[in-house]
Amino acid sequence: MKVGFPRAVYYYDYFPFWAGFFESLNLELVASPLTNRRIMESGLKKASDETCLPIKILAGHIQALKDVDALFLPRMVSTEEQTYLCPKLLGLPESIFPAVPQGMPVLTVNFNRRLGKRRLLAELEHFGASLGKSRVEVHRAFELGGEWQERFEKSRLKGLSFAESMEEFDPVVRPKRRKAEEGSQNLASATVRGKEPPAREGQGAEVTGREVTEQEVVGRGGSDRGVAEREVVGREVTERKVVGGEVTNRKVAGREAAGREPTGNTPEERKEPSLTIALVGHSYLTQETYANLNLLGRLQSQATVRLVEEVEAGRIAEGLRSQRKALFWSHARKILGAGSFFSRGDEVDGIIYLSCFGCGTDSITQDLLARVARREHKPYMVLTLDEHSGEAGLVTRLEAFLDMTERRVRRESDVSAHG
Amino acid sequence: MLRENEYYLGVDVGSVSTNLVLLDERERVAQTLYLRTMGRPMQTIQEGLRMLRSEFSQAHIAGVGTTGSARQLAATLLGADVVKNEITAHAVAASRLHPGVQTILEIGGQDSKIICLRDGVVVDFAMNTVCAAGTGSFLDQQAARLGIPIEEFGPTAVRAEHPVRIAGRCSVFAESDMIHKQQLGHSLPDILAGLCQAMVRNYLNNVGKNKEIISPILFQGGVAANPGIRRAFEQELGQEVVVPEHFAVMGALGAAFLAQEQLASQGGSGAGSRFRGLQLAETTFQAGSFECSGCANRCEVVEIFEDGQILARWGDRCGKWSAANKAVALSPHGAGKKTQAGIRA
Repeated sequence: MKVGFPRAVYYYDYFPFWAGFFESLNLELVASPLTNRRIMESGLKKASDETCLPIKILAGHIQALKDVDALFLPRMVSTEEQTYLCPKLLGLPESIFPAVPQGMPVLTVNFNRRLGKRRLLAELEHFGASLGKSRVEVHRAFELGGEWQERFEKSRLKGLSFAESMEEFDPVVRPKRRKAEEGSQNLASATVRGKEPPAREGQGAEVTGREVTEQEVVGRGGSDRGVAEREVVGREVTERKVVGGEVTNRKVAGREAAGREPTGNTPEERKEPSLTIALVGHSYLTQETYANLNLLGRLQSQATVRLVEEVEAGRIAEGLRSQRKALFWSHARKILGAGSFFSRGDEVDGIIYLSCFGCGTDSITQDLLARVARREHKPYMVLTLDEHSGEAGLVTRLEAFLDMTERRVRRESDVSAHG
Repeated sequence: MLRENEYYLGVDVGSVSTNLVLLDERERVAQTLYLRTMGRPMQTIQEGLRMLRSEFSQAHIAGVGTTGSARQLAATLLGADVVKNEITAHAVAASRLHPGVQTILEIGGQDSKIICLRDGVVVDFAMNTVCAAGTGSFLDQQAARLGIPIEEFGPTAVRAEHPVRIAGRCSVFAESDMIHKQQLGHSLPDILAGLCQAMVRNYLNNVGKNKEIISPILFQGGVAANPGIRRAFEQELGQEVVVPEHFAVMGALGAAFLAQEQLASQGGSGAGSRFRGLQLAETTFQAGSFECSGCANRCEVVEIFEDGQILARWGDRCGKWSAANKAVALSPHGAGKKTQAGIRA
């Protein structure tokens, strides 16, 4: 059986879990194609007018999944203790039924960690039974899903790009590399694997000596601390030191990041990044290249970019310390925590909050973060996307923000130099 | 340094107006033009050049800067030395003419912004989001509906004794509110003044939200011509609001200053301006567009022709078409460093 998974909303955070889960059950799980204009337009037509842009995109992806036997639309209620996902996700799959093509079966399951692991497993067992899978098989699938999810999250924490981290779970996602790198057997993704990669051809099949040593380092340390990452930039092997997740040499790291993720601009146009900008917001917006008009790529061509997914749990908690009350949406919590953490340190020069019309949780989070950023005198800007976002508005704001941040950094360095 | 008869040209092509400014060798404003764009930016730019040419036939243009929503188009047409966003351009103009300015309120045809400067550096800014409520276009519309010329809008509003309260959050609601007040028999000045106050409240609640508004405050953009709005700002903020002499063309002026900076930084490197000459006024520019069928995105690609030759293309996501024009970089950090093969070829 071939099961389709729409490349929208929860795809960006939880696809590896479901990929592992279905893989273990011997079911084929495929994601819809990358968002394009046709997907977007069909989504806008089918989804409710009142809902948010990501849900509209979801509607488009659901319709783009044509040659599958069924759709999988889980109801992701809670993935972490004490928190919920966004209310619009809790309304899935029923709220999106109008977008499901006639006659297409929909598989769904409640995923709710708040109820504890036992109840969660019971739900999954029930779901597995409907697919003809035994209890043991479901438990095994749950384990593998968890492992894959953890590997994905660790890879993001290390600062590897979304595409680099996702590519082993979703073959459609391919990090853009320069031609010289093309043949280099996905070194970047190999370096983060603590465990044996899933047996997919062309990946991880050859483990070179160097990769083995790196895996050992990861295994021994058991954490990200002091891991020397190597990566191939062009033909040269460069090294950088990652200490506790914080990149010690910002400028060097920046250049590598820019080199790793070409952005649609020609290489000649790329200039040496001197700024570090944090782009915060839901991953289904920051990584949704089509809907966000390649904001991440544009930003990366001009600055080193830090993202929410690269901030460890401890620092998120640290960032949230000044809040009087806990946020109960897990994404909002992470965004606010990471944003507050970025506001306080001097690792980043400015923060851009990417939001979209109709986002209820962002309406609160962006304002809470604005207050923190203002208190810390950190340049802060909110960009709001909707379905008819013009490039002009986005580019103007981005340019102005970078201009401002750059002039400000230059002035601050002048001041300290002169006393 | 500029010699006699040498000028820097700043061009601001906005949705409603296209402004041109000539800056002379002593950084004085030699000429300002305020033209209505009327949805034809290319023709309007050419119209502006024609006017400059007739008046300054001996002029030599030493550098060109463009800004505004059609800055890219203008830069391609003219061969600009610097292309900058409106925020930076406005901030540069304001701080050059009024050193020490700390807040800039700008309301234009379809957008409005606030810029906070400290020690001459932009530290914060905001622009209105998609909704054009409370911008010049709305005032234009209402003036037309009430049958008064836009020039008399402000002076009439200032005569008000008891401004009425009008909902300013949405221009559609504001209009129905205004009609209601008219029907109740309120005087025209009171209604207009009420509208000014509603606009200012809306501006401060949206664009000005969370911003520190400290004097000296400059009010610029086309709407600054309206003394009613200025007065409403002063009442609401409790501080003096200054309307600079060249309020309507500050963006273009900023672009001219930026061109001057750019050429100065190029210094004696021999590279002069890339301006393609005032005779451009006589060239035929045409724009066309087509839908690229290369992938599912179906980008609408815009083509600019000069005398039948392709000058530039843009609008594609992948860069397949736009990669060919090296004319002006989209990067904010200056077209100055790029080659101009596309234009010269």
